[in-house]
Amino acid sequence: MKITASRLLASGLGAMLLVLLYACAVTGVEGSVGYDGGYYEPYGYDYGGWGLGYRVGPSRCCDHRDDHRDVHREDHPGNRGGGRAPAYRPAPAGRSAPSIPGRSRTH
Amino acid sequence: MDRNGRTRHPPPRVCTAVLLFGICTAFARSADFELPPLNSPPTTETHPGKMLWADLVTPDLAAAEKFYGGLFGWTFQSLRGGRSDYALALLDGRPVAGLLQKAIALGEHRQSAWLTFLAASDIDSVKRLAVSHGAKVLADTKLYPMRGRQCVLSDPEGAVFALLASSSGDPPDYLPVTGEWIWSSLHAKDAGSEAGFYQNLFGYDVFELPSDDGLNHLILSTDNYARASTNDLARGSARRHSHWLNFVRVENAAASTAKVLALGGRVVVEPRMDRHGGMVAVVADPAGAPFGLMEWSDSDTKEEPK
Repeated sequence: MKITASRLLASGLGAMLLVLLYACAVTGVEGSVGYDGGYYEPYGYDYGGWGLGYRVGPSRCCDHRDDHRDVHREDHPGNRGGGRAPAYRPAPAGRSAPSIPGRSRTH
Repeated sequence: MDRNGRTRHPPPRVCTAVLLFGICTAFARSADFELPPLNSPPTTETHPGKMLWADLVTPDLAAAEKFYGGLFGWTFQSLRGGRSDYALALLDGRPVAGLLQKAIALGEHRQSAWLTFLAASDIDSVKRLAVSHGAKVLADTKLYPMRGRQCVLSDPEGAVFALLASSSGDPPDYLPVTGEWIWSSLHAKDAGSEAGFYQNLFGYDVFELPSDDGLNHLILSTDNYARASTNDLARGSARRHSHWLNFVRVENAAASTAKVLALGGRVVVEPRMDRHGGMVAVVADPAGAPFGLMEWSDSDTKEEPK
């Protein structure tokens, strides 16, 4: 009776282990299973509506910041909170905004 | 039960064999999936904050392959393993992007999207720094031995991005060819705050650029190359949220936009002149994932800063 019970217990544990291993493989709990690189965004948002003058790309090399230091003037509509200092450290005023790399890939 | 009323059990050897088979099957499933390195041969370069990869998540991998193959001439290499259906997009044999099929649960509305990967050779420090500045970890650091270590975060405004410590070094700084990613822009409620957040992570130089629309448009650079821009969200709609947008270099944005429509996609922002003098457009693939198109003539980069 004792032997039967222990065998039953062993079989049960074995089955549980199998189920657990399979579940890990399927759901990716184990470190290297499957791939997690994608992420769905929330649904229903608008990605367009860019107004005239809404420019997002890099400049050609090189835009001189000295020409437009008024971007962060206190009444600039993009500066929330009026004269608040920007949350970033601006590049030194004398430096030009760089462009993207221009060197071609050589095979 | 045998005829004496005792319960019959399989011999211990059978149990052991079944157990071993289960273990082997489980580990075989996990060992199947391996991402290739970003660079072959490997480089010794590190460019913190450089956009170096993008993954699309889509409910229909076959449709996505047809669309992007038709639009950019990408070819695809299927990588299947574990629970993943993943295709590596190649341009002239070089990996340019990944396409991952993930089911969307019934009744759930989710937006297919491109995930932007930024280079972070010291990924643990950058992740810690990000969290201490208000980011959330959406998928913790995971190792893909040949690809590297990566994690997915959302920034303080909720824009989702990933960090990647590439096992094969960061890609060298070349002008992308047609069909490769050329630019990334972050669109946020407060472009300045977001610029500060990313500057803390990657040490970007932040340049303020002139704008005609009264909004903040900032350039983030490292190594004296522009890496990305942060932009206040466009006005006029309440249904906007902070997000990254990646641009593929095209020869002709208008022609590519027409192709997008012919392939079942849609136009989000019609082709328009941007500050470098080339056209940009924003489009969406058939599953709705937005991305950008950007013209760039070789003469657009007039001066090599390095």
